[in-house]
Amino acid sequence: MKKFILTLIALTFISIPVAHAQTATNNVVYVDVNGLVCDFCARALEKVFGKQDEVADIDVNLDTKVITINYKEGQSLEDEKVKSLINDAGYNVVNIRHEAPDVVLNDSEVSHE
Amino acid sequence: MYRYVLYTLLGMGLFIPSVHARPVSYPGGWTLMTMNDGDKNTLHLHYSPNAKMSLGYKFEYWRDKEMTFNGVQMNNLLKRWNKKDSQANVYLKSGVGIAHSSEGKYDGDNSAAGFTGIATDWENRRFFASYENRYTEAGKIDDFFMQSARVGVAPYEGDYGDVHTWLMLQVEHTPESDDHVTVTPLVRVFKDVHLLEAGMNNRGEILFNYVFRY
Repeated sequence: MKKFILTLIALTFISIPVAHAQTATNNVVYVDVNGLVCDFCARALEKVFGKQDEVADIDVNLDTKVITINYKEGQSLEDEKVKSLINDAGYNVVNIRHEAPDVVLNDSEVSHE
Repeated sequence: MYRYVLYTLLGMGLFIPSVHARPVSYPGGWTLMTMNDGDKNTLHLHYSPNAKMSLGYKFEYWRDKEMTFNGVQMNNLLKRWNKKDSQANVYLKSGVGIAHSSEGKYDGDNSAAGFTGIATDWENRRFFASYENRYTEAGKIDDFFMQSARVGVAPYEGDYGDVHTWLMLQVEHTPESDDHVTVTPLVRVFKDVHLLEAGMNNRGEILFNYVFRY
């Protein structure tokens, strides 16, 4: 029993750095894009980014007009490259963010400008 | 009734026909489109080296005129407006090639032929409107002008990857034909790289269009 508990503790400590490492290499960017009005637009961007070796996959949200680009581990594209790929595909980049857009805010946390 | 609908659209400034499917694709994209209705059957295969133009092969068969056209078509995106919730485009569509007639005194004749026209569209995820015109010159065989407009509404807003459905009304105006105006209610459905349209006009003729992008 003692050996089992020690193993569990050891596994717990081993898994912490692994989890941190995954977070650190989980490169994702979120791009706000104007002109995303149909599935064909989304499909076009999927094709364009699919040709980039650094990109694992992308997700297009037609409701929020946000493209989520997931990079392969340890790889990424420069923001300027992302912007140029999207612009060249016929759409307009509004903003590129490196953090998840909306971590649900409480009422008290919503900014009042 | 159809005439009333046409006048209503004109009155609303919505006489805006069909950029049936976008004539320019993404950089490196190929598009195959076939359009079929009471007047014609067409096939257009084009390649877009960039998002502002496409170049490809065009075949047309005009049923009443008994005329075929084989040629090269170039489509240019003249202007695009990208807004957060909508997009609008203006295209120039032109083609040159050879027309062949199988009708009357021109039976068996060939002639150099060309066409050009402006196409424009506006859409958001719920509404769609488009207008397109075209002048065709086929030497001694024929020359004609035509224009068409569409309005559409999506009964629901599909997400990326869903089946998207549009209910549309197309109005075509061909001054030289017996029926100057034809009206075609149709359904557009698309998913992934496939777009399909089916409808029937006020003369009972079937419309069937299919677009494949890759």
